[in-house]
Amino acid sequence: MGGVAKAEVFWRSALQGIRHQPFPHVVAVLTLGIALFTLGLGRAGSLAVEHLLRSLGTEVQVTVWLRPGAPQADVDVLSAALRGRGFGVQLVTPRAAVERLTRELGPAADALRGLASEPLPPSLELQVPPAWRDPAALRQLADELQRQAPVTAVDWGEAAVERLGALARALRWGGLFAFAILLCATVVVVSATLQLAIYARREEVEIQKLVGATDRFVRAPFLIEGLLQGMAGAALALVGLAAVLHWVAPPLETLFAFLRVPSPAAALWGLRSTLELLGVGALLGLLGSFLAVSRALRA
Amino acid sequence: MIQMFHVTKSYPGDPPVLTDVNLTVDKGEFVFLTGPSGAGKTTLLRLVFCDEKPTRGQILVGGRNVARIRAASVPYLRRNIGVVFQDFKLLPHRTVLDNVAFTLDVLGTPRSESRERVLRMLKLVGLQHKAESLPLKLSGGEQQRVVIARALVNDPTILLADEPTGNLDPGLTVEILDLLCEVNVRGTTVVVATHDATLLERYQKRVIRLERGRVVSDTAQSEAVRRTG
Ligand SMILES: Nc1ncnc2c1ncn2[C@@H]1O[C@H](COP(=O)(O)OP(=O)(O)OP(=O)(O)O)[C@@H](O)[C@H]1O
Ligand SMILES: [Mg+2]
Repeated sequence: MGGVAKAEVFWRSALQGIRHQPFPHVVAVLTLGIALFTLGLGRAGSLAVEHLLRSLGTEVQVTVWLRPGAPQADVDVLSAALRGRGFGVQLVTPRAAVERLTRELGPAADALRGLASEPLPPSLELQVPPAWRDPAALRQLADELQRQAPVTAVDWGEAAVERLGALARALRWGGLFAFAILLCATVVVVSATLQLAIYARREEVEIQKLVGATDRFVRAPFLIEGLLQGMAGAALALVGLAAVLHWVAPPLETLFAFLRVPSPAAALWGLRSTLELLGVGALLGLLGSFLAVSRALRA
Repeated sequence: MIQMFHVTKSYPGDPPVLTDVNLTVDKGEFVFLTGPSGAGKTTLLRLVFCDEKPTRGQILVGGRNVARIRAASVPYLRRNIGVVFQDFKLLPHRTVLDNVAFTLDVLGTPRSESRERVLRMLKLVGLQHKAESLPLKLSGGEQQRVVIARALVNDPTILLADEPTGNLDPGLTVEILDLLCEVNVRGTTVVVATHDATLLERYQKRVIRLERGRVVSDTAQSEAVRRTG
């Protein structure tokens, strides 16, 4: 039976605490709000970057150089096998290759005139399906193709793909590291402000302990305060993100339209991200208050 | 109800505050604890409600050895001990009613029941008409009676009072002491620390006298000695 009555006491105590001592709570909510806002922006940014990298990865083209005069049958078998694995395959004959080169060189193409009739070997140009767009898979594919009879060499932009992969990894780890620091700093600030709140109510805590309150009982209102701070901070961050979405995102989108990045709206908004942000806020608030209360009760 | 066996309390670097204290307070007794300033009266009371642990010796409170009690059990022990200390003040932002109800909140007593019990308690200390006032609007004697109500509202078996009349004028002092006697008549064991000799004279209760941390006299024992001749 005591549960309901106690819960009532906790909430009353927490709300009174906030009312009588609003300043530290405001500081904590602002800190949480800024941190969560940054978190939300950072997540939208990282989603955009990942998408960008992935779409750059689509441009990756594999060129399989063939032995001039390789039997058509062998080439057909190879093409069929690659199509079967989901690659787009296009045969570029020596003539087509020269025509393309001529087109690309423009006026300078005159230089090609004196060359042999078929200066370029035939090749297969592959469109890489998503499942194969990572350096390890591509290298394996290249090695495998190299061993086939009609193939002389495989070109897959190794350096570019690896650099993109490394960039993506660095961004991901850097982002995680920055988030971790941001979250720690937030917890520290929240915990410090709650210690102020506890200090302001030390007489109350002392009397509670005097009349037989357990540590858990003393802790509960402060944990509720931390929780409320976290939620309020998250709400603040959501307001900020909504503002960004409304005023900042559209011009950016037009500016970077050529990158074909998806609208950040998807990353910023939606029930799921809202709940996630609230959850992270609540967790940070709880953690901060838990640390503060543990320290205060030990003293 | 309270038993101390060879209790010594010392703080590092200082001579002992209490030295080899032995005493027994029975259920339902009313005891004055007296002695000059610094004799160790407050320290002795703190040991009883586990605010401090003895350096040596055993302390039984209601049959439990509080010298070895786990920290997690202390709250449950305290629910049986009402404490009136000068430094445990009322909360200024809360009404008299809420201040007294504090003790019941901790137990999870529902508001409606708690309100009823608090009002009954306030009636006992003669303050039922001040239930909704803030403590700072009350006189010193009234505030002290609220503190006593807070200590007693959950019917503890023991009441410890440290200088409960410390800064009150003589009329109010008598009023508070009469109240404590009434509480004692209703069955609560009461221990009052005071260096006010006139109170000892006036109330003719058992007096335990401390000097420099030792029990130097105990009227109960001297009476027993007198009786057994
Ligand atoms: N936490 C502490 N650390 C060190 N010494 C302490 C501590 N608490 C009390 N003392 C010392 O113990 C002695 C007894 O203190 P105590 O408060 O028990 O005396 P008292 O009899 O209540 O005195 P008074 O009548 O002035 O209230 C004092 O000399 C005091 O300085
Ligand atoms: Mg004292």
